[in-house]
Amino acid sequence: MANDRLRALEEVENQIATILQCAGNIVLELSKDKHNASFLDRQLSQFTGSVNRVETDLSSQIRYLTQVATGQPHDGSTYSARKDCQMALNRAEYARVKLGELGRTCELMLDPQP
Amino acid sequence: MANQRALPQSKESLLQNYNKRLKDDIRSILDNLTEIIKTAKVEEETQVSRATQAEQDHYEMHVRAANIVRAGESLMKLVSDLKQFLILNDFPSVNEAISLQNQQLRSLQDECDKKLTSLRDEIAIDLYELEEEYYSSSYSQWDGTDLPLCEAYRRRDSWASPDRDPTFGSAPGGTEDADGPDSRETTPKHHLNGHGTTTSTDKP
Repeated sequence: MANDRLRALEEVENQIATILQCAGNIVLELSKDKHNASFLDRQLSQFTGSVNRVETDLSSQIRYLTQVATGQPHDGSTYSARKDCQMALNRAEYARVKLGELGRTCELMLDPQP
Repeated sequence: MANQRALPQSKESLLQNYNKRLKDDIRSILDNLTEIIKTAKVEEETQVSRATQAEQDHYEMHVRAANIVRAGESLMKLVSDLKQFLILNDFPSVNEAISLQNQQLRSLQDECDKKLTSLRDEIAIDLYELEEEYYSSSYSQWDGTDLPLCEAYRRRDSWASPDRDPTFGSAPGGTEDADGPDSRETTPKHHLNGHGTTTSTDKP
């Protein structure tokens, strides 16, 4: 859910870049002696669409934040679960070490070094 | 909105500021581009000379283009601020991320413990067989205080069955067998798995 909203904001950034690029293309085309009307229309429609989309998306994001923001810091954490998991991994590592020692002891018993 | 909670003044003013910045930047981009397009129109009659008018138009277009770029940069900064605000204050998504992480960690812990438990069961089976082999051989130095695992299982099975086999569980420490499971449990000297204090006693 959080990733969706962050991706939507990244899409808004791409739209802002599109706005500036379209504005630049329009000015560039106007600077020529002979204008390509169809090109100007396409760039202008793309510019207008991007501006509307940016305004709509950012307004909806601000509206959502107005609804969910509490002003308080979040107190949740994953510390306890992470600690329990770390202890489980330590148990497994300890068992592995002990079994390794047992294996080496058995090898020494079976094949003692002269 | 009737359901809107009373936010702290700082958060509310911050969000209002975001709205204002959005409106101002969008308005700036639209107005400046509109004026550039209007200025691009060739006027036949001008109040000053053509050169002067051209120079003025050129400078105005530069300024308006710079305003468009500035407004675009301001919008990017606004998006960055919104991302930061979202990460810090979007509690539903933060709660979901925390619960997902907890779930993954707990499943990893359960898997680890399950594998350790199965390993323990396998090793217990092997240990049972090894002890049975060892304590029935002539190399055993069992003095009766340490109860091997195989012997403990045998005695437990014999107690659990209604007919007690008197020959069952014969061990050098056999005088203690008649007491039954209660004394077995209360006697602190008996150790399972062959661990505990071993006294060097000679076996016949």
